[in-house]
Amino acid sequence: MATNEPKKDPRLLRLLGSTLWPSFLVAGMASGVFFASIDPEALRLETLPGVEISRMAGYTIGFFMFWLVGLASSLLTVLLLGSVGSRGR
Amino acid sequence: MAQKDKQNQDKGHSSHEMYAAREKIHPREVKGIFQNLRILSVIALLGIYYGLPWLQWGERQAVLFDLPARQFHVFGLTFWPQDFVFLALLLIIAALSLFFFTALAGRLWCGYACPQTVWTELFMWIERWTEGPRQKRIKLDRSPWSREKILRRGSKHLLWILLGLWTGLTFVGYFTPISELTTRAAAFDLGPWETFWSLFYGFATWGNAGFLREQVCIYMCPYARFQSAMFDRNTLIISYDEERGEPRGGRPRGIDPKEKGMGDCIDCNLCVQACPTGIDIRQGLQYECIACAACIDACNQVMDKMEYPRGLIRYTTENALEGNPSRVLRPRVLIYGLLLLILIAGAITGISLRSEVNMEVLADRNVMYREVDFHTVENVYSLRILNKSMEARSFRLEVSGLDDVEVLTRPEVIQLGPGGTDNINARVRVPRDQVSGPGNPIEFTLVAEDDPSVQSRSRARFHGPSPE
Repeated sequence: MATNEPKKDPRLLRLLGSTLWPSFLVAGMASGVFFASIDPEALRLETLPGVEISRMAGYTIGFFMFWLVGLASSLLTVLLLGSVGSRGR
Repeated sequence: MAQKDKQNQDKGHSSHEMYAAREKIHPREVKGIFQNLRILSVIALLGIYYGLPWLQWGERQAVLFDLPARQFHVFGLTFWPQDFVFLALLLIIAALSLFFFTALAGRLWCGYACPQTVWTELFMWIERWTEGPRQKRIKLDRSPWSREKILRRGSKHLLWILLGLWTGLTFVGYFTPISELTTRAAAFDLGPWETFWSLFYGFATWGNAGFLREQVCIYMCPYARFQSAMFDRNTLIISYDEERGEPRGGRPRGIDPKEKGMGDCIDCNLCVQACPTGIDIRQGLQYECIACAACIDACNQVMDKMEYPRGLIRYTTENALEGNPSRVLRPRVLIYGLLLLILIAGAITGISLRSEVNMEVLADRNVMYREVDFHTVENVYSLRILNKSMEARSFRLEVSGLDDVEVLTRPEVIQLGPGGTDNINARVRVPRDQVSGPGNPIEFTLVAEDDPSVQSRSRARFHGPSPE
């Protein structure tokens, strides 16, 4: 796999590693805390009572929403760090 | 645009080696006491991981995190979302233990217990078994595709994938009863979420333990970045004894190195070859070091062969290396230890004193108070009651805090099945002359009829008309 290949595009891997991964960790924790106090079933009845969403689907949707939010934040951080680097040095 | 900027910039400082294409590391297998300890730890931890979901406790799986029912079963205990505080406490205890052991003995966690290390070790065993020892693996990497290479590589990947799938399925087995899950998996009859999460977890294991390996520790692990903050001069670290080893160099066996002005290191490079993260421990403590102690075992083997004393590379402290005494008991360790003890004691007491019934009280927000008749003021509360025990129970609500206060619920006796919840309206009435103004504190007590020790208390406010 990515082992003996010549240098391909480490920048892309680095971008993925420093955004996808931390946001994944944080999303795991956030969904734990969030769903411990809020039942996805109650949330569904409050918001979309007409749509059938199981609890498992609720948890999964919640997890991916947290992940997306975290990813957005990580991407912004990468962007901002980059621009400071080019001016400051 | 932004991308172009970024590209230009990256050319500017090429010092970032993050995620650079790397030489695949083929750690040399070594034997020794620390490697035996690691093997033991791998067997114990993975034994727990793969075995635990298969244990039964009465009618149900002993450890089952039943997300659809919002109940966590851990042997005889059942936790509810209302018990979230215990999960938080558990995480704090885990973090503090990590601090405690790091301060005492460095990165024990990384070397012996981290899932990344443990699964990597298992995947490496398979690699060693199918592709042979280090030299053979390096040769195989370079050799053109032949029948043997296809067979060896193929069987490695097949075993890895099977192991990854089994790991993913086991993971889901913590959330869905596993015996039923495996039966359905064998019939390719898994639900969408079960399929997704078992593939997801299996894929992550396969990728992290099979391919990324030490890169996870070096580039992805947050603990690796901050663990050094918990180090001090008395922390056990794995270190090369420079004083004794230098100047290093090859030599024939049987000569006295001191005569030649040499140190004990024969520069055989075995410590480097054994290192799973590919560093040279002789350059000093590095943050890539996961403290697996493979270099210690490798070096001790060589020292034995040379008939030098063992321990040129060893567990030691900075103080000891400089000839100062090391102290195990020091403020940092004592404070971590004390906090840990308090938290563990607190968690155990909390869990054993956990009430079997839970009640949340919400005041009716539409009307502050209602005058029932000329003499009586009434407030309405909405109660959410949860019977956490595994048997049906009936409860009665009491209220205190104001003179002549009474409470009405319908029905008067609240019956709840095992694990059942209900929303109840409670009307609290107080004589008008006993209450003045808003915000008088009252307390609800929900008591089980069969066992008065099973109860839950909750505070609320009673609002009355302001005095004229």
